[in-house]
Amino acid sequence: MAKDTCPVQSTLQYLSDRIASGVLTDPKVRRICESIRMLVEEISLGEAGDGHMAAIDDLMTEFEKRTPDDTAVKTLYFLQQVLSDHREAFISHIETRNCPSHDCGVIAPSPCQMACPAGIDVPTYLALIAEGKDDQAIAVIREDNPLPWVCGLVCTRPCEMMCVRGRIDTPISIKFLKAFAAERALSDRRYTNPNPAPPNGKRICVVGAGPGGLSCAYYLALMGYTVEVIESLPFAGGMLMVGIPRYRLPREVIDREVAMIEDLGVTFSFNTRFGTDVTYEDMKARGTDAFFLAIGAHKAWDLGIKGETDFPQVIDAITFLKNVAIGDRHAPGKHVVVIGGGNVAIDAARTSLRLGADKVTIAYRRSREQMPADIEEVEQAEEEGIAFAFLTIPTQITGSDGRITGLACIKAELIAKKGTDRLAPVPILGKEFTIQADAVISAIGQYVDDSGMKAFDAVNWTRRGTIEVNHASMETSMPGVFAAGDAVSGPATVIEAIGGGKRAAEAIHRHLNGMPQPRMPKIPVRRRKVPMIEMTAAEKMRLSRPVMPMLNVDRRRTTFQQVELGYDEAAVRKEARRCLRCDVCRRCGKCVEICRDKMGIDALHLGYLDFDHPVKTDFRLTAENCITCGACAANCENNAMTLEEKEGKRMLKLCGTILNEQEIQTCDACGARLPSAQYMAFISDKTADLTQKAEQRLLCNDCQRKLSARNHVPTRPVNPT
Amino acid sequence: MMFKRGNRVEVFQASEDEAWEPYMNDFIGVHGVVTDPDTSINDPDDLIEVSLQGKGTHRLPQDCLRILSDTRQ
Repeated sequence: MAKDTCPVQSTLQYLSDRIASGVLTDPKVRRICESIRMLVEEISLGEAGDGHMAAIDDLMTEFEKRTPDDTAVKTLYFLQQVLSDHREAFISHIETRNCPSHDCGVIAPSPCQMACPAGIDVPTYLALIAEGKDDQAIAVIREDNPLPWVCGLVCTRPCEMMCVRGRIDTPISIKFLKAFAAERALSDRRYTNPNPAPPNGKRICVVGAGPGGLSCAYYLALMGYTVEVIESLPFAGGMLMVGIPRYRLPREVIDREVAMIEDLGVTFSFNTRFGTDVTYEDMKARGTDAFFLAIGAHKAWDLGIKGETDFPQVIDAITFLKNVAIGDRHAPGKHVVVIGGGNVAIDAARTSLRLGADKVTIAYRRSREQMPADIEEVEQAEEEGIAFAFLTIPTQITGSDGRITGLACIKAELIAKKGTDRLAPVPILGKEFTIQADAVISAIGQYVDDSGMKAFDAVNWTRRGTIEVNHASMETSMPGVFAAGDAVSGPATVIEAIGGGKRAAEAIHRHLNGMPQPRMPKIPVRRRKVPMIEMTAAEKMRLSRPVMPMLNVDRRRTTFQQVELGYDEAAVRKEARRCLRCDVCRRCGKCVEICRDKMGIDALHLGYLDFDHPVKTDFRLTAENCITCGACAANCENNAMTLEEKEGKRMLKLCGTILNEQEIQTCDACGARLPSAQYMAFISDKTADLTQKAEQRLLCNDCQRKLSARNHVPTRPVNPT
Repeated sequence: MMFKRGNRVEVFQASEDEAWEPYMNDFIGVHGVVTDPDTSINDPDDLIEVSLQGKGTHRLPQDCLRILSDTRQ
């Protein structure tokens, strides 16, 4: 079997070939193989149920008792081997209805869904949003992510990085469409929780109420577990609440979605530090069956420069943002310098500005190009008047009488170190300078605070200072203890923490029910099969990503009001319609190959199909050459390309987009339906030497044959001998 | 090598890093896009988030990745 071929698909192909070739001569063996083939086909199509593998096993037992000839033995050995070596792949197809290698095309998830660390079924919810079914869209999202509104505002959107529409023009604005749907569903009072399973009597302790902890708590509660969340802060949200400023994520958004989780019966113990206010032994005594650690990465790295500990005006960004989130509204200073180049540095700078600082400068030791912060965040900071000092290495915080007067720096240049092509900032001697400052905020990274984790003495930690887990199950080295979020990954993204929490909830459920853990992280699951939206090729190409309306700059410099105001409803519906529905078209390119190479027409200009080398795409160009022959549609395994007849027209559609439509014609002689005029002309040209043109009449094959026969019979040469 | 968001990359070899788990051997040869690079301290030792074609999104050590091209928009 080829290394990258799906074993389910290979087995299906093997059995089909064996049966079709007639080599299985024994009737019973043939019947067994046909039955197995049918079951394997259902597994491949995502239609199999829980009993499929057991049924195949029974058939194999029957097969083993009857091996009348060498061919049957060979077939038996093949099946035994593939079912033994790749059993997990078969089970994965059944459980997830997904084919990781995309060989079983009809059930392959889209690139955006695969890109999402939580595995949200993006094309499905976009299609629902396009139709105005926001509550249904939210229900789909919450099957994989309990915080759609939060993610709609702050997600780093890896889905958009992989969006196939981005290969044509710009990615779909997936993130904000999600926020719109959540807001609208809540406004309509149609944002509801699914019904949880009945209580199963098992109790789980979740340490940390950040996105990872909330996600795990939500999915455990839905499975019937009693969940208690221990949180040292006075509210839920973790870094969502204390790390992300309110102008990006209003508190009400977090509160509303946390309340939905509380409604499922999850209890929160706030202002409670694990290891101090409540201990491992306390929780065990309460009957806790498993622990989930989502303690985040809340400790800031020190700058390690002179003067750092000499002045109270030196503060780390995490503490600063936390104080502001809790209610501190004092500006850190008039001239604030923030050290760092990530999103936390940008957040600290923009927060300082909103608190009234006259001048805020971000000092970063590398160049603009190498800043890890989101480009949109950097641009918004610049619009608000934040200054940037690139290639700037801080060397000392200077001041007197307990007050800072400046940040001594030295200019840097980027030089590749020996043996690596990675550019490192190197100080340029003699290029020292001082930035005027009365407050310095360090934002150079965070790490995990393990001070409350002593009771989990069997948990291994990595050399990076994070909790070591098996990423397929988020299981630590201590039985019954699971972990996810920043505590495992180091400072990372909200959606990764949510995805990790969801995986851990499932793994805890398996652990407590004696089920084996998966070998690798599960492939995302398609949640619905939503009909495609019909539109013209011109409309599909013309639609463009809307521009985000923003709060005016004066208000952005003075208040914590939300900066991104959101799209209006019309823009949202249009943007959702721009989706290419990659859950249906898996971009195999067969349609293009057949049109170009087999038919010689080359009507399909779908350059976006190639991941590594996308070229120009224009759906509108198809109509120029397409003859609606249907060869592309006939060879499309997923029914993404279809040929439909409607209202006197024959339409070629790709995932609902009408690439071409031509009049349906009828035979002048008998009234039978005919292909389009373009197709008839194409066939006539190809067969001109064999078939006479039908005297300018439109005739079906039968009538044409009759006419041709009439014309030819009298002229047939007669052999006199 | 420093990775940036949007870099097209290939998992070209297994990593020696402790963060490399056995299932990641399935990723060798797969192409993808960097979705979250090493964060604020530009540490070559950081794990970076990569979305791999047909394999999902994972945090991988940097020594198993090489850049194919930069497609940042």
